[in-house]
Amino acid sequence: MLDKRLIIVSGKGGVGKSAVAAGLALLAQRNGLRVLAVEMGSSGGLSTHFSVGPLEFKPREVRPGLHAMHIVRSEALLEYLSIQLRLPGIGRFGAVARAFDALATAAPAIREIITIGKILWEVREDRWDLVVADAPPTGQIGSYLRAPISISELVPTGRIRAQSEWMTTTLGDPDMTQLVIVTLPEELPSTETLETMRWLEDNQIVPPPLVISNRVLSELEDKPSPGGVVGEIADLHRSLWSEQQHWLGKVPPDLTLPYMFGLFTPGEVAARISDELEALT
Amino acid sequence: MTKTILITGAGGVGKTTIAAAVGVTAAREGLRTLVVTVDPARRLASALGIAHLGDEPTPHVDEPLLWAAMLDASASWRAVAMRHADPDVATRLADNEFFHAASDHFPASQSYAAADQAATFVQARAWDLVVVDTPPSGGGIDFFAAPAQMADLVGGRLLRWITGGPLPGRKLLYNRAARPMLRVADSILGSDLLERVAEFLVDLRTTYDGVARRGREIEKVMRESSIVVITTADPAPVSEAVKFYRELPGLASAPKVVIFNRTLPDAWGSPSIPPETSAELRHVAQLWGSETLRQRDAREEFSARYGATVATVPLSDEPLTDLDGLARLMSQGSGIPWERIGIG
Repeated sequence: MLDKRLIIVSGKGGVGKSAVAAGLALLAQRNGLRVLAVEMGSSGGLSTHFSVGPLEFKPREVRPGLHAMHIVRSEALLEYLSIQLRLPGIGRFGAVARAFDALATAAPAIREIITIGKILWEVREDRWDLVVADAPPTGQIGSYLRAPISISELVPTGRIRAQSEWMTTTLGDPDMTQLVIVTLPEELPSTETLETMRWLEDNQIVPPPLVISNRVLSELEDKPSPGGVVGEIADLHRSLWSEQQHWLGKVPPDLTLPYMFGLFTPGEVAARISDELEALT
Repeated sequence: MTKTILITGAGGVGKTTIAAAVGVTAAREGLRTLVVTVDPARRLASALGIAHLGDEPTPHVDEPLLWAAMLDASASWRAVAMRHADPDVATRLADNEFFHAASDHFPASQSYAAADQAATFVQARAWDLVVVDTPPSGGGIDFFAAPAQMADLVGGRLLRWITGGPLPGRKLLYNRAARPMLRVADSILGSDLLERVAEFLVDLRTTYDGVARRGREIEKVMRESSIVVITTADPAPVSEAVKFYRELPGLASAPKVVIFNRTLPDAWGSPSIPPETSAELRHVAQLWGSETLRQRDAREEFSARYGATVATVPLSDEPLTDLDGLARLMSQGSGIPWERIGIG
């Protein structure tokens, strides 16, 4: 997976999506790649997993060879207008930027193209071997992945339209892009993962996703439980395990990550995930 | 007077289950209770006796004081805007592609719709208690900021810039010679995209007074509610819960309690392991033991740092398929300040 140029990590809220994104970025960094980790959604998802303060729009080196940034829409927009659309002196055109920002509130595909567009521009740059995006949850991921297509439907001509075409190509290229869906072997995340898989299959925007099931318990040998606290623990573990097996059957994952007991900070969780992923690959 | 409990917290921590369990507990205390949920698991929905999105409040067959409703947030946002629009504006909006796009994707729209719907139920005065399970979109805090954000959207920042003033007539929009910026924008976006958006915003703008007034009513309901924050002891949801404790006092009101869901029994923290225990089970018992200690530390730190009332609900391996199961889950909880949130 690390030979791709872009890994987009999504999943239902609460499944550990940001932790997996951070773990993947750390693993790539340890393998000597030049990595950019991008926080797309609400602030704090990635930064807490790297144990650093809030990220900014300008990439900051959080480990040797690993940079991280947060997409601030207004700044991405200004950059988009000035560099990508080659509008000279856009800084003085504050009004245009403000108008676009307001437009982005009302015309959703525009908001999303600015975010996904920024990521795809970074992929195009030779500065990074790999870009890892901590993407919005699966409930919203469709509108981001579809943004370039939505734009070409919404805007029949113009410079934005021309760009939406290479964005669509990059997203669909199996050598470039890998979507990762993080899930849990539980009812709601499994249902949402299946819905997302169906949407992806129907829309064919990105190559088939890789499904990672998180917090998977190990099987406990089926011996009669002793009494007392240890017996209670064994009973609970077995019963949670068999519920998990049910959902693993419904949504067979490509990779599983173990339940991580007794970790205190998001930084510990991400480091542990990168160890586990290294052992798996 | 109808009391309100708003259940909030990060995604995946069990908000919907706890909202339902609080509702059952209240109903069994003799309160006529309505549970408003957004996206329950199928088993939970059937336990509550509701099956479809957009379901009106329905009384439970076996629990006459318990009512439940399931919101279809995208549909009700549209309904809100329509409610405040003149008939001909409503017709145009119904046909406008941006209106549909905005109502499907505007991040606060789901939150706004849920807040509006909940406020309507509270104002109906038909229940003693309304328990609202807030939608997860936008990280939860969104729910509380949604009324103001919605007024801002409808008020039309873009529109004010294009027209440079208050609500214009529809014709004024086409006076583009006066607006060189519009031409720049058009060359980038192509054709008349901006104009079509502006047209939609002009129509939406006519609903502003109604939406803003409604927003103030919704905010009043929120300020008078008891806010209950749900989390697990995992690092990410805890940092979300911290955000609620920091930001909610300014937006609505300070949370009454933080409930740590899926809490392990204290006794598991240092299990006495009988000598005949297998190595494998010994290892598993130690893992769960370390998890128990970590959970306890997370609760203690939260309470010490934010002066929060901390309560717990146990980790249950029972599938919650009926009301008795939900009630039992709540009764195994500890430290929930029932009186302060209006129950018992």
